[in-house]
Amino acid sequence: MATKLKQSIFDKRMLKDSVTKLSPLYLSKKSPVMFTVEVGFFLVLAIGFLPNMSLEFVNENRIFYIETAIILIVTVWFATFSEALSESQARAKVDSLKNLEKEVLAKKLVDGKEVLVKSTSLIVGDRVRVYAGEIIPRDGIVHEGKAFVDESMMTGESNPVFKEKDNPVLGGTKVANDSIVIEITSEAGKSFLDEMVGLIESAKRPKTKNEIALTILLAGLSIIFITVVGTMLFFGYYLGYHMDISVLFALLVALMPTTIGGLLPAIGVAGINRLARDNIVVKSGKGIEAAGDCDVLILDKTGTITEGARRAIAFVPMEKFTEHDIAEAAYAASFSDHTHEGTSIIELANEKKIEPPFLMEIMTAKPVEFSSETRLSGIEFSPKKKVSTTQEQVSKSSLPRTRVSAKVEDLEESNVPVKILKGSVEAILKIATNVNEPELRWKAQEISKNGGTPLAVAVNDEIIGLISLKDTLKKDIRTKLEEVRVSGITTVMITGDNQITAQVIAKEANIDQIMAEAKPTDKLNRVVEEQLKGHVVGMIGDGTNDAPALAKADVGLAMNRGTAAAREAANMVDLDSDPSKIIRVVKLGKQLLMTRGAITTFSIANDVAKYFAILPAMFMKDNPKMEILNIMQLHSPESAVLSTLIFNAIVIPMLIPLSLKGVKYKPELPEKTFIKNMMIYGLGGVVFPFAGIKAIDLLLSVFMR
Amino acid sequence: MDIVILLVVLVGSLGLSVIFGRYLARMIVYEKRPLEKTLGKIENGFYKIIGVDKYEQMTWKQYFLAIVVTNVIAAGFLMAVLLYQNSLPLSPRPGLSLDLAFNTAASFVTNTNLQHYAGEQQLSIFSQMVGLIFMMFVAPASGIAAAFAFIRGFIRKEFGLGNFYVDFTRIIITLLLPISFFSALLLLFLGVPQTLDSTITIGTLQGGSQTIPIGPVAALESIKELGSNGGGFFYANSSHPFENPTGISNVFECILMLVIPLSFPIAYGHLLGKGRGISILAAMLIGFGVMLALGLSEQSGPTGLETRFGSFGSTLFMESSVATNTGAANAALTGMSPNAVIGFFLGMFVQAIPGADGTGMMMMIIFVVLTLFLVGLMVGKTPEFMSMKINPRDVKLAAFVFLIHPALILIPSVMAYTTENAQSVLGEHTTPATFTQVLYEYSSASANNGSDYLGTSANTPFWNWSTAWIMLLGRYAPIGLMLAVAGSFTLRDRKEVVEPIKTSGFLFVGVLSVMVFILTALTFFPFLAMGPFSI
Repeated sequence: MATKLKQSIFDKRMLKDSVTKLSPLYLSKKSPVMFTVEVGFFLVLAIGFLPNMSLEFVNENRIFYIETAIILIVTVWFATFSEALSESQARAKVDSLKNLEKEVLAKKLVDGKEVLVKSTSLIVGDRVRVYAGEIIPRDGIVHEGKAFVDESMMTGESNPVFKEKDNPVLGGTKVANDSIVIEITSEAGKSFLDEMVGLIESAKRPKTKNEIALTILLAGLSIIFITVVGTMLFFGYYLGYHMDISVLFALLVALMPTTIGGLLPAIGVAGINRLARDNIVVKSGKGIEAAGDCDVLILDKTGTITEGARRAIAFVPMEKFTEHDIAEAAYAASFSDHTHEGTSIIELANEKKIEPPFLMEIMTAKPVEFSSETRLSGIEFSPKKKVSTTQEQVSKSSLPRTRVSAKVEDLEESNVPVKILKGSVEAILKIATNVNEPELRWKAQEISKNGGTPLAVAVNDEIIGLISLKDTLKKDIRTKLEEVRVSGITTVMITGDNQITAQVIAKEANIDQIMAEAKPTDKLNRVVEEQLKGHVVGMIGDGTNDAPALAKADVGLAMNRGTAAAREAANMVDLDSDPSKIIRVVKLGKQLLMTRGAITTFSIANDVAKYFAILPAMFMKDNPKMEILNIMQLHSPESAVLSTLIFNAIVIPMLIPLSLKGVKYKPELPEKTFIKNMMIYGLGGVVFPFAGIKAIDLLLSVFMR
Repeated sequence: MDIVILLVVLVGSLGLSVIFGRYLARMIVYEKRPLEKTLGKIENGFYKIIGVDKYEQMTWKQYFLAIVVTNVIAAGFLMAVLLYQNSLPLSPRPGLSLDLAFNTAASFVTNTNLQHYAGEQQLSIFSQMVGLIFMMFVAPASGIAAAFAFIRGFIRKEFGLGNFYVDFTRIIITLLLPISFFSALLLLFLGVPQTLDSTITIGTLQGGSQTIPIGPVAALESIKELGSNGGGFFYANSSHPFENPTGISNVFECILMLVIPLSFPIAYGHLLGKGRGISILAAMLIGFGVMLALGLSEQSGPTGLETRFGSFGSTLFMESSVATNTGAANAALTGMSPNAVIGFFLGMFVQAIPGADGTGMMMMIIFVVLTLFLVGLMVGKTPEFMSMKINPRDVKLAAFVFLIHPALILIPSVMAYTTENAQSVLGEHTTPATFTQVLYEYSSASANNGSDYLGTSANTPFWNWSTAWIMLLGRYAPIGLMLAVAGSFTLRDRKEVVEPIKTSGFLFVGVLSVMVFILTALTFFPFLAMGPFSI
């Protein structure tokens, strides 16, 4: 870290930036506080060179003026340096993120030949060939060929859609079979990294609401102090004090909130940078700020709270059967199901060392594919194949026969085709009636109550039992959500599961509220509903149907693997596509606001000590009564002024690490955080400068007579 | 004994403010008051006469405009009375000069009551009674109405801030008039005169005869204290035995000054949460306590003080009077100790401990908003007030309110010196004592306080015009800005969310008090050091 920091300090561009930012024109627009300090620098410098400007208000020696001027300009430079430093760090991070940004390679047709190009370089009218399994680089129309295109990630429709010549296709969708030539019809969208670069570069960086409010407040305080110091000059003069313009300016600079005024830009950029370090690309500053305010998080169950892959964890037989029976049936029904769920059923059966004796039949059986009408899958085999196999008879009799294998055998013998199917309880009940329905329902509910999803298995019209599938919680999600809850954020889990299952998972994962049996549109409704109640809502999403909700949410974190529409709508994109990162985002948002608040409080608290350092220095010579205020007992009026200014200046670089790293955030009650920070930055802000100024004064006194 | 008197004042004013706080809350949300039917009829009559639709609701701009228009008309009337009192009935006196008339009109319409004239010598009974006493109802009623509208901004959603004319009428008829009537009776009983004669002639012990100015003192006195006005019938204000005859009347007047300002946080508590109201009240009392402690930390007098009241009675009265921006005085400011004067300055700088009728409460809320914004970010959330986010515009307006005050005090003070007007009144050689007097004059004008060192000696065109404009700016600019804050809050959704920093409880009271103190001290510390501190 130390070497890294060193490297960036000697980054030439950064040093150059820190100097160009000294331009009064730039400062007057961006930082009124620093602009005033710079005006002070020019003024004091002018007095230093032309001490005869005013006999009345110029009483110190020339060296003092030059020293003061140097300290003033260094103060300004410290501020611009902090800004340039954080910008340069963020720039470096952007460069490294560029590699992570999803770049689709496209096979562009140039004179009939395929040339590999970046999708961003494509222009309207270009033709590209897309093969099966490849992603369509951008919106266009089919120019040649026919293919099925998987549009599930865009439309939610799980069945591939048939496309032929002149049909429109969407960028980001996947060609399922064959290959097609597509003519590009849309311009390249702005890359979201480009948007982030805009947030880093000072010229383009828009201020967030809190930053604006803070800047106004700081400007207001500055105007008050200008009025105070300006009128002091006159009152002092009429009261017979020997007033000195540079000392007054020193007082002004000391009083003005230079610390926060100088560090404000750096803090903002550092927030973006810290998110980038977590591979999160921020597209608007508003998003980060809202993250801190976020008090409702809408989380998808699948992928965020759970691994998103359900596994079989138990076989539950009906009363007439044994575990062995249901395991055999489940094995058979899942044999041709190569989904994660299907294989997990086989695995569970293997674990239990159960294998159906009619394995041959299963292997040669006709798979029954899952379809949206029947919502069932499994296998089907007809008894014909059975006829000639006589060995089977032997093996069969040698094995202890389960009820299921017996049933299968019986069915085969009576020449009835055997269907072994699995599916949701409702779906199975439509085809299988031979069951004690209350028992089935009760058992299914028991599974749900434990957070599982029941799948029923039937052999022809008889239901054998249930498979309990369960989604496993993500590692650490419990503790992460506990932290979220402690910080006063309500979590809402959205899931398509039924109420009971959802409740169980919610309880296990520390979720406050659930939205069970939710449709994709419910997300948007929930976001709007919560916002109307006054909550600041954060959510994650990856599908196109998430886009409206992502756009509406105050903090929308899109997954990089998600669709372009989602990434477009969200104000942040996670390049790692880890949904649970939304929790990090909230933490960082809070840290950002806390850092601003802490340094503001510190800055204002510092003023108390500065008054006690400079006022006696200004007035003591002419008014012995002011001796009482001289609690700091500084070496001389000159050293008092200089040490206050030096302290004022070096506080800025001292706080650069804090501004870049952010105030430590611990999940706890806001009240607790408040008291703690008030102690550190409020009370500490009052006490610390007394010690700091005194220490600098002791050092200076060595060099002064 | 002193402790007993202090307790009587505090318990008395707090006890009464509990009653009146509830009543104010009812008035703010138009709940039923005692005698509602009869009162309603009387008020409806008024609305008819002035042609007001009592159901019409005003935006913050309309409300502010109504305040300004009403006040301009009232001030114009008062100015005319003062200019032409020579041709008006009841012991006519020569008309005032234009600048003094303007200053006095501005002074009374802004609830300041800075007096650059000697009442018993320069004003006719007509001017005092019809002009000043009338204005002593108009000014506080306007301030209280503004605070009503301000508080409604946090309760109502997009329903306007109320109707100024309705509030104004109701405040005068059902709040100020009844209380001041009964307190005038009590003051009469305690020995304050009430007559339309301008003088009484009495035989002295030596056998000669003496003419003593007199008039409708009790009527003026009660509203003078109740309405945080402070302008005395006599030049000597409440140190005159006719205005404040005994120790008991002294205590009673203290209570009268404190009661309405202290009722506001209680009303606020009824409407926006008990804890919040009590916390605001606590912060106000802490500030008032600091002022009192400063005043009592050093013996005042004996020169310039009434022996009837002594150091304690004078300090208690003066601190109560300055704290509530009443500006009545039962002792000469020059007789008060420097520490007591620092206490006075503190009260005028903050303007909210507890501040004048209505405006003190508004100012305290502005301090709450500023405090919440300054330290609130530290919990990692955008600061909220009443669960509504504080946006840049609120901060801008609040910062303006906070900024106007030092600007109105310091810049004119410099002008008084650079134009030699300060020197011509206070002497060529500027000392901390004379600087204090100049600073005090403008602080008093800007805070709409009214107490001052200079008195008739400041009856010069410069002082009359400058303080008049400062009083006007110091009154209407903050009220306008504060109503704008309320106007923007009233457009926001009422939220069901928890505030990130609770605006009640010990922690909040502590932080608010410290922030009020620090913000004020940072602004004015050097001037207190150069002024009263160096005396």
